[in-house]
Amino acid sequence: MRRLAGGAGILLLLVVVLPMLLPDPVATDFAAILRPPSAAHPSGTDQLGRDVAARLLVGARLTLGLSAVTVLVTGVVGTAVGLASGYAGGPVGRAVLRLTDLLAALPTVLFGLLAAVVLGPGTVALLIAVTLVGWTPFARQAHQLTVRELGQGYVEGAGALGAARARVLGGHVLRNIARPLVAHACVRFAGTLLTVSGLSFLGLGIQPPSPEWGAMVAEGREFLFAAPHVVLAPSVAVVLVAALALLAGRALGDSVAGRRSPGPRPVVVSRFRRRRQNEGGN
Amino acid sequence: MLGPLLRRLLPLPLILLAASVVAFALPRLVGGDVTRAVLRARVASDAPDPAVTARVAAELGLDGPVAGQYLRWLGAVLRGDLGIGYVARTPVADQLGSALGVSGLLTGAALALAALVGIPAGVLAARRPGGPLDRALSAAGIAGIAVPEFVLAPWLVLVFAVGAGLFPAIGWGGPEHLVLPVLTLAAYPAALAAQLVRAETIDVLGRDHVRLARAKGLPERRVLWRHAARLALTSVTSLSGMFVAGLLGGAVVVETVFGIPGVGRLLLDAVLARDLPVLQAGTLVLVAVAVVAGMVAEVAQLALDPVAHDREADR
Repeated sequence: MRRLAGGAGILLLLVVVLPMLLPDPVATDFAAILRPPSAAHPSGTDQLGRDVAARLLVGARLTLGLSAVTVLVTGVVGTAVGLASGYAGGPVGRAVLRLTDLLAALPTVLFGLLAAVVLGPGTVALLIAVTLVGWTPFARQAHQLTVRELGQGYVEGAGALGAARARVLGGHVLRNIARPLVAHACVRFAGTLLTVSGLSFLGLGIQPPSPEWGAMVAEGREFLFAAPHVVLAPSVAVVLVAALALLAGRALGDSVAGRRSPGPRPVVVSRFRRRRQNEGGN
Repeated sequence: MLGPLLRRLLPLPLILLAASVVAFALPRLVGGDVTRAVLRARVASDAPDPAVTARVAAELGLDGPVAGQYLRWLGAVLRGDLGIGYVARTPVADQLGSALGVSGLLTGAALALAALVGIPAGVLAARRPGGPLDRALSAAGIAGIAVPEFVLAPWLVLVFAVGAGLFPAIGWGGPEHLVLPVLTLAAYPAALAAQLVRAETIDVLGRDHVRLARAKGLPERRVLWRHAARLALTSVTSLSGMFVAGLLGGAVVVETVFGIPGVGRLLLDAVLARDLPVLQAGTLVLVAVAVVAGMVAEVAQLALDPVAHDREADR
């Protein structure tokens, strides 16, 4: 956890402080186009003579900021839906699960395409598309975790002590399923990041000249042979951040491959369970 | 076997009906006068004759109340008539059909490769969790998920097409055109399948029937592949259902980079050109494929996993 916080701090430093020291990310310089890395331009310049390093770091704010906001929103919404449907169970719960299955099976790009046709390609369409898809894995995970927790003694105990339904769900169950959900959020951050930059790569998301990472790859692709450094910088950035997020998720205990992964047993519960198992004699 | 199958078939028409409403309505939220836009593209006139406008609107099925338009469109779709594309001015069914053939081939090849690589990798990694092979495979798995198609594809082109000259960088037709796109598409499903199989196999290796198999003195290899891995396969089956529709319509990036005339490319072009009939039909078909593939995968999983089958029968 502390290492995670340290990593986030370094990232923040990179994203907020460093851009102040670097050249303007949209300033063009036609005297120096497609230059390889040098002292003045640590990652070289692109086809319009813009500093790649500066664009990369300013783009980080866009790409990572959008992904973080999306994960936060979809995480809250999905968890609320999953808690409710897991608690409701029966036909309602099954219907919610079916819906999440269906939405998860559809290509994310389809949502991006439809949002782009309704709203016009841009940041708003992008956000709506990733939000529409993004809540479903959280809902599914929260649903399954909730169903599992509802069988636990502490839920029964809280109910017997007269705790209101909302309190049992929001206070007790949520607290016990929070850790796997946070781990899942890390994994989803990687997925969202890849979707955001992928849609921007296709021209359906953040529009040039904004230095979004996917859009940077798309712009630099034409000069891949002559000046691979233009594509290399955003490629490495995307892969590195996604891999770090996946590793963070794994460290927190998400098994990544979503569907039937139960996640780690919450610490608070295991004590109850052990005692019950001992009493049951098996 | 018939019971669970029927129960899954029942909601199918309902889902498809809902999907048809969405597919019909969404592109219509575009705003602006679609008839005018189409006309402008055809005759390059800002103020066309109202009579012509009315005729074109009728031709496009855009006249009268929206509910009537929907019912007419749905009726035509049920008869197999998906309309005429605004841009290419050929039947949408033909456009979509040829694109589906291309995407189907791409999807099938990618999924086959992913299964061929991912499943054995997962089983091998499960043999010694935490061992050197497991750690190497898990690092490769992280890479497979973290490297997106829009990064992998250009670099594969640079190395294998431009650099080594082994495969063509762009185009569609011969088997040599399949290699780089399929490699790009297979990376993610292969990594996911490996992770899933690994987790499931580790789980199965602790179960009683595996202990029995070992107690009988079966060689470890046979225990691993026959007794443990077989059960782990059931979860991959359900995963593959999810991937079919995703790859079929979601390979836009790969189709763009390699210039492949697949479904994703068709839809992207339809969006850029505001080609309503193509968009509507494409959305509908993709939803149908997603639902049917999910269902087939689920039934296959039931057939493969005797425990789940029994549980289902009890319900």
